[in-house]
Amino acid sequence: SFIIEERSFMSCEDLLYGRMSFKGFNPEIEKLMIQMNSRCKEEEIEVDDKMEADVSDEEMARRYETLVGTIGKKFLRKRDQRVLQDEDEDGNSNRRPSKKAKKKFLKPQD
Amino acid sequence: MAAGRGTAAEACVGQVVLPGDVLLLPARPDEDGERLRLGAGAAPRGRLLCGPGLRRCAAGLLVTKCGLLRHRQAGGGATAAGGAYWVDSQQKRYVPVKGDHVIGIVTAKAGDVFKLDVGGSEQASLSYLAFEGATKRNRPNVQVGDLIYGQFLVANKDMEPEMVCIDSSGRSSGMGIIGEDGFLFKVSLGLIRKLLAPKCEIIQELSQLYPFELVLGMNGRIWVKAKTVQQTLIIVNILEACEYMTAEQRKQALAKFSGN
Repeated sequence: SFIIEERSFMSCEDLLYGRMSFKGFNPEIEKLMIQMNSRCKEEEIEVDDKMEADVSDEEMARRYETLVGTIGKKFLRKRDQRVLQDEDEDGNSNRRPSKKAKKKFLKPQD
Repeated sequence: MAAGRGTAAEACVGQVVLPGDVLLLPARPDEDGERLRLGAGAAPRGRLLCGPGLRRCAAGLLVTKCGLLRHRQAGGGATAAGGAYWVDSQQKRYVPVKGDHVIGIVTAKAGDVFKLDVGGSEQASLSYLAFEGATKRNRPNVQVGDLIYGQFLVANKDMEPEMVCIDSSGRSSGMGIIGEDGFLFKVSLGLIRKLLAPKCEIIQELSQLYPFELVLGMNGRIWVKAKTVQQTLIIVNILEACEYMTAEQRKQALAKFSGN
């Protein structure tokens, strides 16, 4: 049969972690106590502490919406940039014919 | 005097055993290593943990320390499958064991290595890189005389013990330099194990008394810090005395102080 020799008491008895704090003297150690002792009893349970956000989720979503557009514009070629500008000024129909006129070559009138 | 024939291990659980006693284990039905039984629990049943104070011998287990024989049943999932036997002995002198968390006092700084006094026969060494977030440029601020809580990486009778202040995943998990103030004192090793037991009444009763912080090292050293010097000294005296007090006497002593 297999007999394993051990010289440590930690694997024989279920000993707690050596650092302890009571009644809130050291809050970090109290958090550590809960973490360590729950690890001994069960498998490690990862507690996801949701950190308090400085910026709310909604604000974040709004900012990202415009941010994607702004950064995307940086990488457009010049022609595409003009097309974008055209799309922005959709309502203004006056400028369009003038721009189209500019694009065409004007024949000199006799 | 020839040693008498051994007694069954199960019969001696909870009784005093002396060095030289031989404990017989029940014969295993499936000792044949060739045949691998494909069944649940066939392999783990063979493994037995032989703890401190016991040694393997031809017939079974040989006792090397005097004390009470303890046994833990098999099972438990995460812990070692198969039972465990060990001797619950009492001693004051600590022998470094790998994996133990201890409190050490820094005695010297030798280049890249600190020398710590852990109460054993030799001083333990601790490299300055064995702290969380330590690099060659970012050295930990350790002075001679500081208290360090760490665990043994290497601890056998042939080599100098080595300590580290991080665990296997690189996090400090509470180890490192113990802060300022507080009081360090020494108790016997049996008391430390009693205090570290899962449901220790002494610790529970003390925690109702004052807010305080406690670090227990397996080498018999305890560090206590409370808000005032008087509270610290009260806790120290109770911890030192509770080894030889009965539960009644302890409750009486604590009742006197809970008014303060």
